[in-house]
Amino acid sequence: MNRFPVRGVGLTLVWLIVIADLLLLLWIFLTSLRETGDIFDRPFAPPSAIELGNYANAWTSGGFGAAALSSVMVSVISSVAAVAISAPAAYMLARRRTKVSGAITMSFIMGLGVPGQVLLVPLFVGLAAVDLVDSYTGLILIYVALALPFTVYLLTGFFSGVPMVLEEAASIDGAGPLYMFRRVILPVARGGLITAFLLQFIGAWNETLFAIAFMQSDDKITLPVALVNFVKMQQLNGLDWGTMFAGMCIILAPMVALFAWMGSRIIEGMTVGIGK
Amino acid sequence: MASSLTTRRPGAAHAAPRVRGRGRAPLDRERRRLFWPFVLPAVLTYGALFLAPIAYAAWTSLYKWDGMGDKQWRGLDNYRMLWDDPTFTTSVGNTLKILVVGGLTTFVLSFALTLVLREMKAKLFARSVLFFPCLVNALVFGAVAGFVFSPDGPVNVVLGWAGVDTPPKWLSTDNIFSLIIATTIWTATGYYTTILMAAVDQIPRYLYEAAELEGATAWQQLRLVTIPLAWDVITVCAVLWTVSSVKVFELILLFGGSTSGQPPTQTWTTAMYVYVSAFPTGSVPKLGLASAAALVSLLMVGLFTVVLRRLMRRDPIQY
Repeated sequence: MNRFPVRGVGLTLVWLIVIADLLLLLWIFLTSLRETGDIFDRPFAPPSAIELGNYANAWTSGGFGAAALSSVMVSVISSVAAVAISAPAAYMLARRRTKVSGAITMSFIMGLGVPGQVLLVPLFVGLAAVDLVDSYTGLILIYVALALPFTVYLLTGFFSGVPMVLEEAASIDGAGPLYMFRRVILPVARGGLITAFLLQFIGAWNETLFAIAFMQSDDKITLPVALVNFVKMQQLNGLDWGTMFAGMCIILAPMVALFAWMGSRIIEGMTVGIGK
Repeated sequence: MASSLTTRRPGAAHAAPRVRGRGRAPLDRERRRLFWPFVLPAVLTYGALFLAPIAYAAWTSLYKWDGMGDKQWRGLDNYRMLWDDPTFTTSVGNTLKILVVGGLTTFVLSFALTLVLREMKAKLFARSVLFFPCLVNALVFGAVAGFVFSPDGPVNVVLGWAGVDTPPKWLSTDNIFSLIIATTIWTATGYYTTILMAAVDQIPRYLYEAAELEGATAWQQLRLVTIPLAWDVITVCAVLWTVSSVKVFELILLFGGSTSGQPPTQTWTTAMYVYVSAFPTGSVPKLGLASAAALVSLLMVGLFTVVLRRLMRRDPIQY
């Protein structure tokens, strides 16, 4: 029974951290509605009025508007493409257990351990040679490549869980493998595909290293680059914190929305195969 | 990059049946025919944009190259230069600090949180809140820290209320890296707690009931039941942590709203070093050196993975 005080302390601490996390998020949001001078004078004060001026500033002169559009485009296209080419591969790797398929699966798994910076110089040199630096296509290609190891790994696990009986039944009914994949397997695996898409979307949305190295024109940069540029730009005449907080909220908003909407799916996907 | 994140292939439990029954043969044959059309797009993309670049990085690391002119053969001199470069050794040291100090702290905290959360009301809600920071671009935390810890910022205001008149200089170059480690720990703890919780939930309750009947204390239950049975997952977490800590970049880039064009070298990690050597502001790119530094970080992951798996190897426990 001596564990009661310890538990009490632990519980209190956990709730304190939870509340602090929520307050931090709330504070970032509330601060984005206030004027910079005011923020520094009274950091904890609530906004006196709902001021959207910071957002207007961030969206236009801060460059966050154009960047948000780039981010949405790059993240959506690269995630769809990554799932589209990973799904058939993962299906075959899950179903055909040959030496070749084993070796391919293994090479994807090993890719999980490669830190992104290893690919930075080679991809830059390679894509510069075909004129794809500072282009959406180039960045999308990079994101698809970076996504492959995890997406294939995740989906292989997922397809392995789809019972064979389904295909056998469809086969007896005379369905060819292509038709079967499209009409039987994909619908059953929809949950896995959505999870893979979500995780890749989150990854691409937050990716910074390649975006900052590859995207140079102001109209093509993604949100993380816009934030970095904004901070750099303001270095000389003092940071406009209000606008910066608004910019950060633009980066945060889709993550909050996705997490509120499909949090359990995201959590499950990011911890899948590890907790088992 | 030897070794993998898991010893099993995903879903090995559902491995294709060996029986080649009459009804299954045509299905199998057609699948074999479609194997390459299905697999090739992924394999080609992966080969061209992932595997080949790794080889190219290894090759480039043996040359001196500014990206424009000719490559000059340098052999292993780039690696020797890295070894002698104090900025690089600091970067490696910082990466190791995140890996080891940050990793151990994160692990202990995650385990403590798991134990508390297990029997808590509203545990799913609490878990979600703790998990969320890992979905946020670390740039945001870096920038927010620049405000929160600034001399007149909220932290010092609160400390002032508590009667602390001379708070530490949070954002001085000596302290900034400790803050960076703390932030890493904070964002990662929720993630690893979630993984550990899933593992601990798999442990059958009757084992704890039996332990309790035998008079085991909470600490003994943790040491003799929970940790051994969650060991596999703990090993995977250690490998995951290694990979993610070698990648730390965003947090460094903007931490404290960085005061000049580049973050102070005292806070660099290997990822930062690679980025700055390849894309310097106002000097010639050193692509060979950057590649060598990138290779070192890859080797770090490989080495740690192998050592961790060796150190943490246990006989599998059946239950």
